[in-house]
Amino acid sequence: MVSSLFINPFSEDAREIVRNYGSPDTIFEASSALLETVKRTRGQNLDDNSLLPGSIGELAIKRLEWYLRRQRRGFDHGDYAYLMNPDIEEYDVIAFYVLAQAAGAGFRGGSREVRLVVESTGALVEDRFRVLGSERDEIIEEVLIELGSEGTRWMELSELIGSGKLRLTDLILHRGRVVIDEDEFLVTFQDRITDRDPRSLYEALVGLELKETMISRIIMQRTEDYIARVAEMSSTVEPHPLILETAERIGETVNEVTPFRGGQVKTAGPGKLVPDAFPPCIRGTLDGVKSGNRNDAIVLLLTSFISYARLYPSVFRDRTPLKVSDLDPDLRVIREEILPIIYEAAERCEPPLFEDDPQEKLNITAKLGFGVHDEPEPEHEGESKWYTPMSCEKIKIHLPDLCRPDELCRRITNPLTYYNRKRWELHKGKSEQEGED
Amino acid sequence: MFEAATPLERKRYYREEWDVRKLPDFIARNIHMREFGFDHTGRGPSDRYRVFDDEKRLSRFMRARFPFAAYSSVAFYREPGKRRGWQRSELIFDVDAKDLPVRSCDCEGVCERCLDEARELVLMMVDTLRGDLGLGDVHVVYSGRGYHIRVLDPGVMELGSEVRAEILRYTAGARQPRRKFTHSGESYEMEHFSIPLGYHRVFIERARHVFLHMRGDERIENVTARTVRDVVRNRELLLEDRWGEFKRRIGPRVYQRLVAGVAGINMKMVDAKVTIDLKRILRLPTSLHSKVSMICMEVKNPETFDPLKSAVPKFVHERE
Repeated sequence: MVSSLFINPFSEDAREIVRNYGSPDTIFEASSALLETVKRTRGQNLDDNSLLPGSIGELAIKRLEWYLRRQRRGFDHGDYAYLMNPDIEEYDVIAFYVLAQAAGAGFRGGSREVRLVVESTGALVEDRFRVLGSERDEIIEEVLIELGSEGTRWMELSELIGSGKLRLTDLILHRGRVVIDEDEFLVTFQDRITDRDPRSLYEALVGLELKETMISRIIMQRTEDYIARVAEMSSTVEPHPLILETAERIGETVNEVTPFRGGQVKTAGPGKLVPDAFPPCIRGTLDGVKSGNRNDAIVLLLTSFISYARLYPSVFRDRTPLKVSDLDPDLRVIREEILPIIYEAAERCEPPLFEDDPQEKLNITAKLGFGVHDEPEPEHEGESKWYTPMSCEKIKIHLPDLCRPDELCRRITNPLTYYNRKRWELHKGKSEQEGED
Repeated sequence: MFEAATPLERKRYYREEWDVRKLPDFIARNIHMREFGFDHTGRGPSDRYRVFDDEKRLSRFMRARFPFAAYSSVAFYREPGKRRGWQRSELIFDVDAKDLPVRSCDCEGVCERCLDEARELVLMMVDTLRGDLGLGDVHVVYSGRGYHIRVLDPGVMELGSEVRAEILRYTAGARQPRRKFTHSGESYEMEHFSIPLGYHRVFIERARHVFLHMRGDERIENVTARTVRDVVRNRELLLEDRWGEFKRRIGPRVYQRLVAGVAGINMKMVDAKVTIDLKRILRLPTSLHSKVSMICMEVKNPETFDPLKSAVPKFVHERE
């Protein structure tokens, strides 16, 4: 018999287990009971002991390792089969809290490590639903009640909606309530449904799929919130040494499985941008923009696009926040290449941007991460954030007139991704042509 | 009609016709928390950061300065004069008749017909905000060239731009509705028009509005001019909800591109920047829209509102 613990680490039962476990002193002590459960899991590879977590701390790290490896070539489900075994649920709940506490104590919010811990939690929930079998419906209903999402109003999910974890358009709404209960669905909409069976429409629109999505997203959000609370507490209360050790292991695991491929740009120098690979919105901005869209186009779109395209085009692949000076230590590229492009585009606006709004120069500096100052100076770096280029979705809202999508645009969601793809296509085309010659 | 007001006409309006007591209650009750902005020359609201502690002071200012245009912030601040201490903001939808990407008229600015089409769209959006999203304290304001929907429901006033953008997508029908579903391990497809509830219903209504008001020369992303003409030729079917037949005539594959294109158009029917901006200033109800000589005013009954009867200042009737 599976319990909701297997899915939901935020239930009262789960908290009780953690309370009873007490101090983290023993998280790295060998647990023969855990190891036995792991070994008894059907389909588990037993030929390599390093695959088997022998302690709660190791189980915590394995949760993350599973997530990092599962998308990679050569992943063998048998190496982590125990994670889908409901018999580990009590150990797993404690491991979840160890992992989350370590993420909060060891890393800042928004870091790659925190993001991966949150994502791994959501992915585990989603995969575990698939192994639940006949108990799936019952567990889903139980978890929904535990999470307090029955009779939920969409506004209570606004954090999930704002972060993009849940889309408002995927929910079935009626007078502000998210309709997830079958009886409520039938009572509310029966009269409108004339040419099909209301129950089968319910199954399609709400059914298990939406419920599972809601559960995994809510658990991800709560994990993020929990990590943030731990991080806040860590500034006043010294974290347990074994939690900090777990944090170190998180860092090592992340680096080992997904090493950072960016690093110093050794070839930073003029002429590295490939204007032929710019997307239509950027080409339109460089041509000059009319009053109304000028400020957003230059300050929000172009500044971030050009700086990342020139210095760190792989930011979305590497997902490691860097500073401009990590890539351009003396700021030569910023001063001699990037700013001139932005300022010239601002000059081409109608009327020229800085004539009307000279303070926008300060905003451009701020968007590069150098605070509100006339020019980027090393001593001001970090006073603001180096903004990544806005997504196509946001461009459609902020700058609809600049969004003139071409064939490639349809397959991407960010102008920087367009740039990378197009650059690759251009490079490939050139190589092929050279080959033909 | 729709001609610019002269400085003398503005003066007459503010001294003879305008009455601060007509200010909607949702503005008057928090007047001291809003930033006010004024355009005195017709070149934009350059006189910003104004604060009025009460209606009497605002009244004195308006009568003395008879501005070209008057605005107040959608945001409430602790220090509105410095735009500091943001506390909350109204949720706004701005439907400007002159900027509608699809409208049946071909007027240069605005006319009776496109204003009415903007009103139809606003009615549908208000219905969605109340019926689907369960929001209260929803006000409709005639802006002079279109409509503002202003939502003061406490549940949305503190929301950030991202959630507001998502509310906009839902309310405007600006996202392609989901087609693929799974049930008992099997996946299958359903068209938006076969799902008469939720967001799919919202999209059906918005798409129908767009199709029924097309002139036939519109540009829709990834859709040919011929398809646009086919839409116009076959749109009568939609009046009887015969979407399946409509899709068949357009062509099933082309129809998917058309649906994606309509989602894009729906996004442009509303000025999205206004919705996501938490510190916007918006034309003040009761003030004069001097470019078109119309009164910006709260609409008590949008079903029957006719701006040409209710929002025309006296001086327009007295023009030679």
